[in-house]
Amino acid sequence: MADYNLSRLNFLIVDDNKHMRALVKSILHALGVKSILEAGDGADAFKELRHFPADVIICDWSMQPLDGLDFVRMVRTGTDSPNPFVPIIMLTGHTEMHRVMEARDSGVHEFLAKPISAKGIYSRIRTIIENPRPFIRAGIYFGPDRRRKENPNYNGPERRKADKGEVEGSVGSISDKLKDDTNKDKGSNKGSDGDDGGDAETPELSQDEINALLNG
Amino acid sequence: MSDDSEIITPPSNLQNKVEKGGPGAVDLDAIARAEKVIANLAGDYVNWAKEDLVKLEAAYKNLKEGNGEQKELLLGVFNVAHDMKGQGGSFDYELMTAVGDKLCRLVEKLDKVGPKEVEKIRIYVDAMQVIIGHKLNGDGGKEGQQLLMGLEVLVQKS
Repeated sequence: MADYNLSRLNFLIVDDNKHMRALVKSILHALGVKSILEAGDGADAFKELRHFPADVIICDWSMQPLDGLDFVRMVRTGTDSPNPFVPIIMLTGHTEMHRVMEARDSGVHEFLAKPISAKGIYSRIRTIIENPRPFIRAGIYFGPDRRRKENPNYNGPERRKADKGEVEGSVGSISDKLKDDTNKDKGSNKGSDGDDGGDAETPELSQDEINALLNG
Repeated sequence: MSDDSEIITPPSNLQNKVEKGGPGAVDLDAIARAEKVIANLAGDYVNWAKEDLVKLEAAYKNLKEGNGEQKELLLGVFNVAHDMKGQGGSFDYELMTAVGDKLCRLVEKLDKVGPKEVEKIRIYVDAMQVIIGHKLNGDGGKEGQQLLMGLEVLVQKS
């Protein structure tokens, strides 16, 4: 396997937990990344973006005072955002379906479930490299195209003003070919739905299930 | 999707900055090296987890003593447990992730807390202490599985 050389990419890691930042940074270094900046919360990260030309942001969800979703929305739609198109990977233990959809609707590119692995991180980076997506501005949403896979059976009206042919780097079918086996290595990330009262209505999704949900 | 939606091509994409193959490209060895880095950090993880356990004990104490708004106190417990859940499996402490997850799931559905709920939370905190104290990595082996089964029984009883 010979894959991508990541040495020219700038990564911004945003996490309020220094141990997780150290872990992600170590993984990226081992994958050949040379330029990595860390930020302890969303507000700091937003400031850093003014002078750090991030190519990819890896962002935790649970942070205070500005959490990961707030940060993503600021990057995407803030009037003073220095880099509204930057790819963002949301890193989180919140893997219930509604949480995944919430992250998607805030404008993230990819979603990486904790616990993390080197393979899992690289898989998400590779998906971003191989599948550049157009951005959509629709109502209050601004972010990467959420309709990632073309549906050949779609018969409804085409409501987008621009024709797909105008878009460079067509959306095409994406990362189902890139299914990583993170959860095969690490075991399912599913939460408890046992007798301790785990909420059976909102089961947590494995990384494969998240990928399928986001790519379907 | 509203009628006035607009498709915008980003000014650049990562393909302009990466090459495939050649020296320095990610390969199976690089992935293996990265996984090894994680394994090497596992020794540090135990110390990090001990720091988190101190925070968890403090959050638990505040909850038990009612030192503030209950919602905020529960959030304090949840946040530490959530961090520990995320970190555990990343450092080959899947059992910590499993117990941390159970604690998160318990706390997030609580609206109010009485002695019974405090007792249940205590059981999970104790289990997390045992996992780190005994360095029960992986799934904890036989001891870990006994711990999980014991947890279920204790939580149901309390």
